[in-house]
Amino acid sequence: MSEARWDVIVIGGGVVGCAVTRRFALAGAKTLLLERGRDILSGASKANSAILHTGFDAPPGSLEVACMQAGYQEYLDIHTRLNLPVLKTAALVVAWTEEQLAQLDGIVSKAHENGVDDARQISRQDLLGRETGLSTTALGAVEVPREYVIDPWSAPLAYLKQAVRAGAGYQFDTEVKSGAFDGEYWHLDTGQQRISGRLVINCTGTNGDNIEQICRKPGFEIRPRKGQFLVYDKSASALINSIILPVPTATTKGVVLTKTIFGNLLLGPTAEEQQDRNIATVEREMLDGLIATGIEMLPGLAGHSVTATYAGLRPATQFKDYQISAEPGKNWIGVNGIRSTGLTAALGIAAHVQRLCGETYSDLANFGPAAAAEWPVMPVLAEHEKRAYQQGDGTEIVCHCERVTRGEIEAALDESDVPARSLGGLRRRTRVMMGRCNGFYCSARVAELTQGRISPPLAGHEKDQS
Amino acid sequence: MSSVDIDVAIVGSGPSGIAAATALSKAGFKNIVVYERETNIGGIPRHTHHPSFGLRVFKRPMSGPKFIAALVRRCPDVRFETSTTITALRPGGVLELASASGLRTIRARHIILATGARETPRHGRMVPGLRPQGVITTGALQQYIYSAQLLPFERPVIVGTELVSFSALWTLRHAGIIPVAMIETGPRISAYRPATLFAKAMGVPIRYNTEITDISGIETLTQITTRTRGIKTATIPCDGLIFSGCFTGENTVAAASHLSLNASNRIPLVDQNWITSDPCVSAIGNAIHPADMGDQCYLEGAKAGAYVAQLLAGNISLDKAFSEIRRGEGIKMTTPSILRSDIFGEPHFDLSFHVTAPFRGAVRISQGEQVLNEKSINGLPMRRITLRNNRFATGYPVDVSLIAEN
Repeated sequence: MSEARWDVIVIGGGVVGCAVTRRFALAGAKTLLLERGRDILSGASKANSAILHTGFDAPPGSLEVACMQAGYQEYLDIHTRLNLPVLKTAALVVAWTEEQLAQLDGIVSKAHENGVDDARQISRQDLLGRETGLSTTALGAVEVPREYVIDPWSAPLAYLKQAVRAGAGYQFDTEVKSGAFDGEYWHLDTGQQRISGRLVINCTGTNGDNIEQICRKPGFEIRPRKGQFLVYDKSASALINSIILPVPTATTKGVVLTKTIFGNLLLGPTAEEQQDRNIATVEREMLDGLIATGIEMLPGLAGHSVTATYAGLRPATQFKDYQISAEPGKNWIGVNGIRSTGLTAALGIAAHVQRLCGETYSDLANFGPAAAAEWPVMPVLAEHEKRAYQQGDGTEIVCHCERVTRGEIEAALDESDVPARSLGGLRRRTRVMMGRCNGFYCSARVAELTQGRISPPLAGHEKDQS
Repeated sequence: MSSVDIDVAIVGSGPSGIAAATALSKAGFKNIVVYERETNIGGIPRHTHHPSFGLRVFKRPMSGPKFIAALVRRCPDVRFETSTTITALRPGGVLELASASGLRTIRARHIILATGARETPRHGRMVPGLRPQGVITTGALQQYIYSAQLLPFERPVIVGTELVSFSALWTLRHAGIIPVAMIETGPRISAYRPATLFAKAMGVPIRYNTEITDISGIETLTQITTRTRGIKTATIPCDGLIFSGCFTGENTVAAASHLSLNASNRIPLVDQNWITSDPCVSAIGNAIHPADMGDQCYLEGAKAGAYVAQLLAGNISLDKAFSEIRRGEGIKMTTPSILRSDIFGEPHFDLSFHVTAPFRGAVRISQGEQVLNEKSINGLPMRRITLRNNRFATGYPVDVSLIAEN
């Protein structure tokens, strides 16, 4: 059994793992990402509300708000070079009851305390003037101008692609089962392989406390919180302009109405604690409840159809704040309890982890000369930008609902950094089969185009009839 | 873009689109184009290989591809442009088109939308559970089996008992697959009762009063859980799930345009001659009444095309104003959905509609106090009911209502 030796091993290919891999690879560390799923974003990161948050309502002084704000800034600094989209919608925290209206003042003060100085209360008249589709039972709102919508899948993929170009490696279908530290190197056992590296960074999300056990007794417990979402047809996205956020209360977090970067309208999430770490099912009663809430807020939603339903698990712990710490003398950093703000905070978390590494492990402070940063150009998937079919890439449209060309599908399968090797991976890279028909028109064609390229395959050859 | 590029643009090359093109061609219009976003023309029939086509048009049963080939032989002069998607419809007869070379804009004197229908898939029905591979629709199944010669699974369950559900059964039989079961939420099949014999002959049980309560499988489907009569639960191991029927019009372009829509189903409003709220746009076929048989769509498309030919020849002066057809309780949709006067003979219309649930009684068409027509019916949701030649007074709404038997 051969044994490769790495500087840094990142366990978990969610958005945080991808951002951390990027950070260390760019810093010159020989970095490997291990992911037990068939692609990045196989766990908590594949299902979120895709908002780039300012951190206006995060607990002041927390690590969470610091990482969110650093991540927010870095995303805005790098997104053009990676060709990652931003839809500048702003958010409105809408009060629906007198009780909520009375809380708006507090929300503005907290935002200002968090440095989000442009948050301000607006009147019912202003609110209904800006959002003509909202139910007139709305009483007022807090406007947060710099809350934006981003692409939750292309961003982490871009981070990993950039890391790969800086020399990072990755391995999917690889689950770390155990590990041992020999004073200099960690030796991780996957059942098939032993993989060794000087520093291990645990970014395993909903499995965080179990993986943490390899090094130490975790000081927290993962308590998965399920969120169910509904994606409405693109026809519904014109019903709102801004992200419509709820006023958080002690009993319920409430649901969000937002455009997606792909031109749909998203409604959710629910918040349900559950035991299972891996399985998130959608339930009819909860979806019906979401729809009722959605129509109450936005009556015009009633005539629009649902394109997709999904559920995700947030890796919450018993603590409100992130649980990020380095174990002195053991070359291990745990990055845990990244609840629902991971997409915004990921780049900030990565920078924080790098600092923590330098402070804790003086011998690991410098891995080598920093890598020359290459900037992969991500394909355009955002509805408000010029897509491949609009530019004319010389190939026909295969997926009509999302207008995905054959060229885009082939590029996602053929590219060399992090090609799609599963249907989920292809869908997230191209939008194919993500639309309202769920593959009625294109799935057989996609099966042909992906034959021998993805696992599990969409279809096998017909039986021999003879 | 002041000039007009073509006389008539037809969007969609299924039976209704081909029929409209044929009628216009016969009326002497040379400059007409049928746009098709797929690489092959034909719409749904191109991947429906059982003999449920042709009986009314050719007086003999034909497979979908043979039906389409025979229709195309009737219109040798019609130009088809495949792999061309209409991305937007604008006032003034303007269409935006996407093809391999990018976007372009054309202007037509008249546009006929014949964009067809598709089945409502799993997510649109909000079926609970996980999201494994192997959950598809009949349309996708037919394309897997007939177009790609690929098998997406070997032990599927069919959801629904409409005619198309038995088409799924036929398609599976062709591929040598016997499904595990068919499931139906109601107490009887939605298609005509004799269709059960086909399932019986294949040894496929139909489970009535049954709904899906869970879909299991992380990557690929492993089993479903069902509940019968609201109490009895069962698990059915399977590797595929076919959501059949529950057709919905493929009206994406129309719904995003300036056309007036029916608020509850976002189908464009059409008058008794298939003209929408915009006098230079028609909408025909299963896009506006999902879904009827291919032959019915062809016959309708021919009439609509002939009407457009009269309109373009200047023989009809069309009123911009229209009046509404109001649907009573239990009526899913009507065709037409609006009425409009022209100077082309006496104002009259044929009315087709579907019921939302099985209904026995009478249907009445009235305008104010005046009863325009009344007929006793024995309606099932998937069956089209037609009342012909109803005279009406222009400018006033018409009501269609169901009257239950005592």
